[in-house]
Amino acid sequence: MRYAPAILVGRLTRFAARLRKPGGGSAVPGLVVNRIAPKYLKRTLSGFPEGLVVVSGSSGKSTTTKMLVAILRAHGVDVFTNPSTANISQGLTSALLEQADWRGRVPGDVAVLEMDEGHGALVMQGVDARVVCLTNVMVDQIDRFHDSEMVASMLGRIAARAGESIVVNADDAYLERLAERVRPEVAVHRFGVTESVLAASPRGLGYTETSDTRLSTGTDVLVEAVDGAAAVLDDAGASVSIGLPARGVHYAVDAAAAYATAKAVLGDRFSSSTAADALSAIPAVFGRGERTVVRGHDVEFVLVQNPASYQLNVDSIAPGTEQILFAIGSDVRDPSYFWPTDAGSLGRVSIVSGSKSAEAALMLAYDGVEIDRVEPDLGTAVDDFLAMPEPASGVKTIVFTADAMRRTRAHLGLAGAE
Amino acid sequence: MTLTIVSLLPRLQNTNGDAENARVLSTRARWAGLDAEVVEVESAAELPPRVDAIVLGSGSDSSLDESRGLLLTMHDEFRRWGTEGVPILSIGTGWELLSWGIELASGRSVEGLGILPGRSVPRASRVTGDVVVKSPRFGMLVGFENHARDYVGAEASPLGRIRAGHGNGRDSGQEGAVMGDVYGTHLHGPVLAKNPVFADRLLETMASRAGLEYVAGEQAQAVDAYASAARAAQLAAAGVSLPTT
Repeated sequence: MRYAPAILVGRLTRFAARLRKPGGGSAVPGLVVNRIAPKYLKRTLSGFPEGLVVVSGSSGKSTTTKMLVAILRAHGVDVFTNPSTANISQGLTSALLEQADWRGRVPGDVAVLEMDEGHGALVMQGVDARVVCLTNVMVDQIDRFHDSEMVASMLGRIAARAGESIVVNADDAYLERLAERVRPEVAVHRFGVTESVLAASPRGLGYTETSDTRLSTGTDVLVEAVDGAAAVLDDAGASVSIGLPARGVHYAVDAAAAYATAKAVLGDRFSSSTAADALSAIPAVFGRGERTVVRGHDVEFVLVQNPASYQLNVDSIAPGTEQILFAIGSDVRDPSYFWPTDAGSLGRVSIVSGSKSAEAALMLAYDGVEIDRVEPDLGTAVDDFLAMPEPASGVKTIVFTADAMRRTRAHLGLAGAE
Repeated sequence: MTLTIVSLLPRLQNTNGDAENARVLSTRARWAGLDAEVVEVESAAELPPRVDAIVLGSGSDSSLDESRGLLLTMHDEFRRWGTEGVPILSIGTGWELLSWGIELASGRSVEGLGILPGRSVPRASRVTGDVVVKSPRFGMLVGFENHARDYVGAEASPLGRIRAGHGNGRDSGQEGAVMGDVYGTHLHGPVLAKNPVFADRLLETMASRAGLEYVAGEQAQAVDAYASAARAAQLAAAGVSLPTT
């Protein structure tokens, strides 16, 4: 009964928010409930019978979370999870409210939460997690964090909340150092790639500092091979073939992270074939290599969020792709930190767009990319791009940042534009 | 005759993509029909026999001591380059390390190489945002700043006057420090790409020292149109209007 009044107020707020913006999710109800019942979030997160699992890190946490949830559900576990856009405290509370009964109780055996690395340390104060999975430390969102040391220290505070185990990327030197500092009763599980997989990524995997050595086969979960959207994991010496939601080594690493974390959560109940089937059945994530049909054309969407994902995703675009729309939106305050990347493999871009189109064109030009046209207005650019005749080679490919993705989706009337 | 541009300590000093200015110089040189290459140098042993320009970008505070240690092994070379007129572009903490010294918020200070006058001192809070600088040498310079320290002691030889943003701070109304062909600035990222006049001045100096002539290539003019659009957007965002020329 303790939270019934707060839940009621939260529900009413949500109702009001929906009247104002039909179909839209909103963090406002969470903000209201956090204000009038400040302990609700912590108590609820700590109250799942099989505990709380947290996924955090600079990059790949959304995909890893989705994969982990799919594996757990395939094992018959009832999972509460948050949409990836709701990974800070008011969004989390709003997500809980979506599922809560009138007393504020949220059904589910286990909660799997994607946690923003900046806000997670704060949200996790006083919350006990069972398992914490950390993906990597990359220099992203420079305006926000300024340096990787700060990202590592925030992830350290999230990891310190783990009561049973942490699951870390062994190829990330920052995370390895962090794993050395956990309390002795907390188990450390690892995932990573083999030397040959790393060698096949000419620019590395984008971590701020890559560990000097790779994991050896036998105890942990390794990405053994990646071929397009198919990969082979090495689970303590046994090969497990999986399908990925899109091409790219980073998806294979995300899959290894989810696989290793599911093992840590499920213990003896874990089945590698169930996990492999669940991973292979995950539909393409929108905007991260998803191929879809828009206005009668096959279109591939490629989301770039930070220099590392930019490089990996640009490298994964098939050479010779004839029609590319490239859009950087207002979410990138200052594109300077993208300059160390190299988009030369794109060769030619049909239209550069978005509110940072001029800066984007300047950067591409110095990478040696030919640019047919710069059109700052994204709606016009998308319309004109889709109106171009079917390309002779490759599919129409739209590379965009998160803000440009949102605007593109809204413009095309695709679901989930908010 | 190949122009050699040294990108110094790119592993530690490329936080905001500043080291990429070396690539801007080599690319523009090639567009002008000159041979040019970028050599990444992480230690004195890797220095090429001929150096036509140096780019030293910004790093994080946690690597100040390591970078300083590495730069000290090239102290004599820095003095010689400075005297001989080899263009040196230093940005952010790279600039600070070439100054007299850096005073940290903790009270500790890091001695600089003393190539540029002045020193950096802590400011109350970090400043990030657009900067517009009116420079007597290069006209209007645009860029982005992200620093937690002010810079004092460059009042006699700044890069220019602040039209928007903070720059050197401490109410100086100035940005940067210049000594001959050695430049220090807070303008991070691809400052030479966004300010082609600045880039071309460095290239002219490099070329004339090497007995060559630099005239910006056709391709540069096409690419500079993107720079103009980016500059216009940044000037508008910073609320600076230019007199019509």
